[in-house]
Amino acid sequence: MAVKHKNLYLYLALACFLGIILIFVFDGYMGLHDTLNFTGGEFPQTITADQWQQRGIPDFMPSTSAIYGEKVAFTYVIENRCFSSYKSDVSVTVWNNQVKLTDLLSTTVTTKAFGKGQVDWVFDTTQFASETLTTGTSAHFTLMIQMGDIQRKIIIDIYKDIIQMKSPQ
Amino acid sequence: MKFEFILYGFGILFCIAGISYLAAEYVKYLSDIGKIGSLLLTVGLFAFLGKYFEKLGW
Repeated sequence: MAVKHKNLYLYLALACFLGIILIFVFDGYMGLHDTLNFTGGEFPQTITADQWQQRGIPDFMPSTSAIYGEKVAFTYVIENRCFSSYKSDVSVTVWNNQVKLTDLLSTTVTTKAFGKGQVDWVFDTTQFASETLTTGTSAHFTLMIQMGDIQRKIIIDIYKDIIQMKSPQ
Repeated sequence: MKFEFILYGFGILFCIAGISYLAAEYVKYLSDIGKIGSLLLTVGLFAFLGKYFEKLGW
């Protein structure tokens, strides 16, 4: 009995350690997680919430490139890992040289507790880059996604392809 | 023999420093409630460890 009592504090200390690990795991899982999927050119990309939050990289900004004439499809998935529902306005705007060009999308997303919400939009390169864009040059645009306090940015690089693709017969 | 203990000491120190660094990095991403909970449990952890070693006669 005396031995058991002697180890009691050790077990309590181990329980505290286990509790800390559990908090780390639980806290990491809970919260609002946003993921962006898009395909620029032939390269599908997925940017997860963890990547957005990399604090080691200041102003982490993913980028994609597209050939003039292509359309880049975006899918923004909001995963609500909270015990309450989540509702927020989502807006997507296009910027160039720190000047807002246009609103691509403005909508409201509602997700249930531990549910998912999704927003889709398409970025048409012909709408923003000039037709006079010469081969070998490119135009850059910033896509800004605003959802409540969360702000995400992606750089889109539009260029004219040197090799002209054959159109299907 | 003494040299071995010095090496053990360095090993333990590096382990503690490594775990502390990882924990400090992870704490940045914790919510406020998670931070408070972790802090309380850390205090409890060291308090109980202290009590355990006290009972051992250290």
